[in-house]
Amino acid sequence: MAKNAVNSAVFVPKQKFSLKKTFQNNLGFFFILPWLIGFLVFRLYPFASSLVYSFTDFHLFTGIHETGFMNYKEIFTSDKILKALRVTFKYSFITVPLKLTAALFIAYILNFKIKGVNLFRTAYYIPSILGGSVAIAVLWKAIFRDDGLVNTMLGFFGVEGPHWLSDPKYALVIICLLRVWQFGSAMVIFLAALKNVPAELYEAASIDGAGKWRQFFKITVPMITPVIFYNLVTQLCQAFQEFNGPYIITHGGPRNSTTLMSLLVYNSAFQSHEMGLASAMAWVMFIIVMVLTGIAFWSQKHWVYYSDEDGR
Amino acid sequence: MKKFKKVVALCLACTMVLSLAACGKKNSSSNTTTKEEGTTETTTEGTTTEGSKDQVTIKLSWWGGDERHTATIDAVNKFMELNQDIKVEMDYGAWTGWEDKMSTAFFSKTAADVNQINWNWITSFSSDGSAFLDLNEVKDTLDLSKFSQAALDQCVVADSLQAVPVSMTGRIFYFNKSTFDKAGIAVPTSLEELKTAGQTFKDTLGDDYYPLALGEYDRMILMVYYLESVYGKNWVENGTLNYTNEEIQTGIDFIQSLEDAHVTPSIQTILGDGAESLDKNPKWMEGTYAGIFEWDSSATKFRDALNEGQEFVVGDYFKDMGEYQGGFSKVSLAFAISKDTKYPEQCARLINFLLNEDEGVAIMGSQRGIPLSASALAYCQNNNLLDATVAEANSKIIAWTGFALDPTFEDAKLKGTDGTYYDAFQGLSYGEYDSAKASQVLADGINEVLGK
Repeated sequence: MAKNAVNSAVFVPKQKFSLKKTFQNNLGFFFILPWLIGFLVFRLYPFASSLVYSFTDFHLFTGIHETGFMNYKEIFTSDKILKALRVTFKYSFITVPLKLTAALFIAYILNFKIKGVNLFRTAYYIPSILGGSVAIAVLWKAIFRDDGLVNTMLGFFGVEGPHWLSDPKYALVIICLLRVWQFGSAMVIFLAALKNVPAELYEAASIDGAGKWRQFFKITVPMITPVIFYNLVTQLCQAFQEFNGPYIITHGGPRNSTTLMSLLVYNSAFQSHEMGLASAMAWVMFIIVMVLTGIAFWSQKHWVYYSDEDGR
Repeated sequence: MKKFKKVVALCLACTMVLSLAACGKKNSSSNTTTKEEGTTETTTEGTTTEGSKDQVTIKLSWWGGDERHTATIDAVNKFMELNQDIKVEMDYGAWTGWEDKMSTAFFSKTAADVNQINWNWITSFSSDGSAFLDLNEVKDTLDLSKFSQAALDQCVVADSLQAVPVSMTGRIFYFNKSTFDKAGIAVPTSLEELKTAGQTFKDTLGDDYYPLALGEYDRMILMVYYLESVYGKNWVENGTLNYTNEEIQTGIDFIQSLEDAHVTPSIQTILGDGAESLDKNPKWMEGTYAGIFEWDSSATKFRDALNEGQEFVVGDYFKDMGEYQGGFSKVSLAFAISKDTKYPEQCARLINFLLNEDEGVAIMGSQRGIPLSASALAYCQNNNLLDATVAEANSKIIAWTGFALDPTFEDAKLKGTDGTYYDAFQGLSYGEYDSAKASQVLADGINEVLGK
């Protein structure tokens, strides 16, 4: 057997090097080269170097004087950073479920054959495009300031509205709302998934006497769990990286109640110029997101239904 | 067909790469124009002899408002007209985010050749003299004799004159006289009158009216002014905080007393207004907040923000604050030449034109405050180019203030929105800190920055 293999290797004719053929064989590589260069230079290199910097006291203008775990020690002993971590968790655990619920609910409604449905779909998607722009921040402030739209409307009913922007109890809620309001992209993905649920399942359920709610929870939700899972993971990653909302609306205040980790990373890096500390905070965030994503992936065997794998 | 597809795909890929390369082309003459905050504009407009053999290109960067942009662009165009061997590219934008942008530019050695800088940038970016050129090297071109030695000394760090100061600035009271008239009282000239005004405003105009609005950083500066008036010593001396915790606590109590006496609204009230800054706060515009404690160079911004029919006046320093004349003045901003520039002499010519020469000064006027250059000041005065309000405020500040300011006072770790000043004064105003705790927070934060 081995002898045959050797013989067959011997009889393979020597291939002549051809530039044209090599070029053709590697054409795909050339196509992705622009992306690859961008990835290596602008993603992988900063990613790797930030890990190195995280173990130094790298200051933008005074350089590196010390190496070790001091940044990580500071992260887990500084009240300000620990508070930012707590706020980030709170923010993520409020926004992700709310956003997914809102997106699924609206997608479910927009899946019905109602008049002007395309107009509604567009209207609900627009906030995702506008996102955390300066214009939206101004709008948000106008709505939620002490004498803003919301409190004025509450005033009509004799209710004195709270200090939405300046009370630490409510400020985070306002930032969360901005995020939840941008449910359009998740909604579009849900809408696509809902359209793929076989109609015969609903027909069979109707014949068996199942109502709309039962159909929703027993057919729709299980059938779109892969998409729910996808949206959950992507939204979780995005929530932990949220920056625009607190940066442009509250600047992290009042009393650091809306200071998310991303804001602290930015302030440390570009205002205090402490790149070492900023890198360490970014890596802590990365590890947290990775662990949560890992948990989500581990948990999917308990609740995500893949129809092409015999149910699981 | 398959081959054709490949060729098309390759062409598309090449086009993409080339277009990306074009985006990053240096010396681009394309304008990216927007006046929104946080965005910048790069332009090379002007009358130049394109392609001239001996022409060199330098870049000037600054931040500011539209009026400053217009004046500086006009002045630079005039400079290029008179100096056809120099082409000046301009990079300018609003203050928001500008410092962050410049810090990375200086770090990555991509900063402009000539930069308008904040005074504390000298110590922040170039404490060892590595970022900015020693201007003594170009003193044959840049006439430094027009500036007082005391002003120049403020820009000397690491034995190097790293920038030339454009103007001096300080904080002073400004009042909306119309609101005081409505309340039936005169604009306050003493601390006692200010405190009385708080109660009068409340009684006659309502709970929403205050004679003075102070944000967190304003409170810090006012507190230092108060402490200097009481104790007669610099806030920081030889790199050491010059006040004990008990003394700082006196200042904190003073600030809190203003809030308690309805002189200034709480921080929560100001944040609840939802305005980006006081000059954009509708309550300032309509006169509900009738006073501020601001830089002289900010006077026009606040004055112009007022609704029509309201009178904006410069206040006086309060003589009953203490035994001493508290308060400080500092270099408001300066021009510096990047150490990496290839054309230091040409950069010096540009700065000299903008700060000392009649043609430049005539266009620039008081867009960067009251000029420190003796020749520029004389020209502006003779030709009535100074804004009357700014000039009045500046003369009062220069006449009154005598204390020195340490550059670390403006360190981002202290004055940033997550910094020590915000923490101490927000904590106090929100009732989370008592005055002892707030003074401790302040002292700890400042000592950390000072490296103590």
